[in-house]
Amino acid sequence: MLIFAASDKGGAGRTVTSANLAYHRAMAGDDVCYLDFDFGSPTAATVFEVADAREATDGRGLHAYLIGEVGEPAWIDVWAKTEHPVLRNPPPGCGRLVLMPGDVSGGEFATSDDNLRHCVDLLMKLYYEYDLVVVDLSAGRSYAVDMALEATAQPEMREITARWLVFHRWTHKHVAAAASLAFGVRGIIAGGVARGHDEEALRGAIRFVRAAVPDPESPLWSQVSPTQSAWMRKTDGDLRQLASAQGVGYSQVLGSVPLEPVLQWREQLITAEDVVDSQIANQETWQALSRLAGRLTDDKYWEQA
Amino acid sequence: MPSPSGPPTHSVLVCGEVRTCLLPSLQALDGRAAAQLLRLRADDHVRVSERPTMYALSPEVLTGVDCGLPAANGAKVRAVGTVAVRGALTEGRLLQSTAYVSLPAAGPDVRRPWGQYLVRPGLVEPLGKLPRQAVAEGVLRGAGRGELDLGMIAEGLLAQLRRHALLDRRVPFKSSPTRLRWVARREPEGGRASLVNFTVAEGGLRAMELLLPADVPAAAAAGLCEDLALHDWLLTTTQYMLDNSRLGAADGPSVVEVLHPVVVHLLHLWMPRAHVDPALGHLWDVLEDRPGFSRQWENLGRRIRDRLALQAVPRPYEALSRR
Repeated sequence: MLIFAASDKGGAGRTVTSANLAYHRAMAGDDVCYLDFDFGSPTAATVFEVADAREATDGRGLHAYLIGEVGEPAWIDVWAKTEHPVLRNPPPGCGRLVLMPGDVSGGEFATSDDNLRHCVDLLMKLYYEYDLVVVDLSAGRSYAVDMALEATAQPEMREITARWLVFHRWTHKHVAAAASLAFGVRGIIAGGVARGHDEEALRGAIRFVRAAVPDPESPLWSQVSPTQSAWMRKTDGDLRQLASAQGVGYSQVLGSVPLEPVLQWREQLITAEDVVDSQIANQETWQALSRLAGRLTDDKYWEQA
Repeated sequence: MPSPSGPPTHSVLVCGEVRTCLLPSLQALDGRAAAQLLRLRADDHVRVSERPTMYALSPEVLTGVDCGLPAANGAKVRAVGTVAVRGALTEGRLLQSTAYVSLPAAGPDVRRPWGQYLVRPGLVEPLGKLPRQAVAEGVLRGAGRGELDLGMIAEGLLAQLRRHALLDRRVPFKSSPTRLRWVARREPEGGRASLVNFTVAEGGLRAMELLLPADVPAAAAAGLCEDLALHDWLLTTTQYMLDNSRLGAADGPSVVEVLHPVVVHLLHLWMPRAHVDPALGHLWDVLEDRPGFSRQWENLGRRIRDRLALQAVPRPYEALSRR
């Protein structure tokens, strides 16, 4: 299965959340490949803590591959190359976790026939090899999004299950922006239909992920004043209403990830050790990520509303 | 049409790369479909043999190159000529593509008209002298940017074949492709070919070094390497399914689910030497001796059958509860 991770804005938790999902799936035994299609600013290597390995592959990454400069994109075995002490010792029974990094020097580029061909060949090849392929797309209606839409519209990719996650933060601006990225005049669906996608099918393959969502009921806020508490509840309710009016409501949401300092500040993978041993990360975050990871392939969450 | 392997007398080095993967098709292809898939040229036939295993080999197509050669010592050697590329399908299930070239000890110092290269298919001539050892090591290490990249050429054909309209583009199970890079140094005529080295690196990469008498065509060496790559793929893939997958120490129907595709699609594919040139068949003995390819395969097969047999035995407590 292919998962495309999109967001309208940077800082919506797209990379860090989707990397954590890839990690959860690999721990559960899937072979997972993570593609960094964030052509302006590839950051996935930092999240997986393979910066040194990424540096060694610079100039041979996905960008160089797509524009035809190298025959194959470089890839990094995360378990073997990560500097994260816990990730270096994956438990037996877990699947492979492979990162295909972007190139630091590589900017955005228009989709030509040649690089579209390269993109389709790569996605098909990885689809035959991995249980799950996660593609992290540059923010906004970027060339990366165009290429993903164009590639999946090709006849040879029609049969392949491709799903889209649109990440957004839990604010007015982000909710509206996420809705516009999916449903707007220049959005994913409009762009997909223009390239030959079936509108209903594409709509059914898009779900939203709310990142950094503060939970007014959380013990974290138990000490706030009653006015603050009431205000938080009201604002949260307003946001829910806005989301549902914009078509980003409950039925279209795959899951939410709570506001989590570790994700916000460290932008790294949350391991079981972070939750259980050092307890720097919240149990709820771990569970939310775990649930989300499971729902990626659970058809129940992808049925038409 | 001269044989694409070219006049073997000229070359001092043959190198190539084989890519091996599962054919993206739920059903294995029969001989006719295999021939259709591998019909790379309208003017030449696909060779299909049904015994002892179904094996189809495409005609060779040529890729013109004018680029640097990979050299381990950093020497800059420009070379011009054509690379031979071919595809093969075994039991309608395993797809391979090979790109290979022969290199002479030296070539003219200036580039000649293209037509003169075309009459020597599969031969790439250096401008000046060929640093044989450095290039052999460079090929095994892998090409840098702008250098002759046989893997890229082989992958190009593989991608083309995987796109073929005949295929439903669905795989019965997920598996990783492998790459085998090989170099063969030419020895005087009449000698006996030998296997110098076979190494298994990470990421599905394999490297092999051969000594090849001048009278053995390069295509025969390519055939041997394809055969080894195929069996190495079978070992690698089956071993991974047994060791690293969700199988682990699992029990119950999940075991059958994981092992089912191995039994249905892979177990019967083991047939070393079946389509190898008789002049090179003995090279298999080296690998049979150590590490013992067939020994490992038999062991894997036994493990799979035992795991499946265990599933058929009622667990003790289940047997008790039925009393």
